[in-house]
Amino acid sequence: MKTAFCFDLDGTVTTTEILPCIAAELGLAGEIATLTRLTMDGHIGFEDSFRLRCAILGTVPAARVREIVAAIPLDEHLLAFIRERREDCFLVTGNLDIWIQPIVETCGARLFSSVATAQDNKVVLHSILNKGTAVTELRKSYDRIVAVGDGANDVPMLRSADVAIAYGGIHSPAPIAVQAARYITHQGATLCNLLRAL
Amino acid sequence: MQPVTSAVIAAAGLGSRLGAGMPKCLIEIEGRNILTRLVDILSRHVSAIHVVIGYREELVVEYCARHHRDVVLVRNPDYRTTNTAQSFALGAQHLSGKTLFLDGDLLLSATSVAGFIDAAASHQILVGLTDPKSENTVYASGATDGETIRLNGFSRTVATPYEWANIVSGPSTLMDGATNYVFERLIEHLPLPGRNIELAEVDTAADLQAALKSGLATRY
Repeated sequence: MKTAFCFDLDGTVTTTEILPCIAAELGLAGEIATLTRLTMDGHIGFEDSFRLRCAILGTVPAARVREIVAAIPLDEHLLAFIRERREDCFLVTGNLDIWIQPIVETCGARLFSSVATAQDNKVVLHSILNKGTAVTELRKSYDRIVAVGDGANDVPMLRSADVAIAYGGIHSPAPIAVQAARYITHQGATLCNLLRAL
Repeated sequence: MQPVTSAVIAAAGLGSRLGAGMPKCLIEIEGRNILTRLVDILSRHVSAIHVVIGYREELVVEYCARHHRDVVLVRNPDYRTTNTAQSFALGAQHLSGKTLFLDGDLLLSATSVAGFIDAAASHQILVGLTDPKSENTVYASGATDGETIRLNGFSRTVATPYEWANIVSGPSTLMDGATNYVFERLIEHLPLPGRNIELAEVDTAADLQAALKSGLATRY
């Protein structure tokens, strides 16, 4: 049986949320963290929130964003798991491809993300990922999909996966993500033991 | 010899006979709740602990996020219409090797559990037994053979010196497809070896009072 492992990025593979780190560059970390939290909990639609965050953070030069992102710590257990099977591991994130490239390279995993380009030091957003479509796409080449996530925008991915895991590595998973999951784990080592047993 | 490597704790039920308004595993006895007592004891012996949750699951999730980050929580949203055997099967899905299945309302003696888990390595299935003391006893019948009891039956009506203790070790697939009581699944495998284990089950208010007096509440 061929299994695909799908991982949310922010707060799942990374041990801190990415957008507040970028926002710190503008002195807006607290404000963006609040917006992220409200989005995670499903109070604001992911797309609206993400467009707003992109509009604010898009003024930070892309090269500077990549420097910041390159320094963001990753969960060592998850990183090791992904590196062991790069071919079958997928980062599934609403975050922008141009921002998270350093992490994608570090993990070596394949990517489903929102898409943007940088023009004149301004971010132009082309598409926002619906995580459910990533699972639909992967079904064409995999027998089984395992998904790990923590927020409201992970729900479509968790609901359409065969094995859904809500992960609370750095903060509790959103209740709506818990309700879409079979398993709940709270640390990387335990999560990876479960993933290896699947 | 195949040692026990994982444990599945069934903590999804309503606990309606006790009516504590919370999952029974969260009932605090002498300052520590049942779940913490179980996890502390079991983590000395197994590498994976799966806790099956249902009734007021958010309370157990929140508690484990704070205190037991190394357990895997397995959701059984159908806890109102399923029984312990189904929760066990759900909790053990994807586990391999030998698993200890136990109810989340047990106060255990740590040394007694250690003896049981040691002995379990030598048996494909080992059934936990205790002195009859709960209000809803399922009796087990059999003959003693040293510390092992050779079981040949279970009954709710015919009293014997042994009560089914709601703890059993066996292959992780032991409860797969079971829809009735756990002991009814065990009946399919009779004859089976059993072993006494010092514990108290907290099923009713009277059980809780008895557990408090048993000494199991303070030492483990």
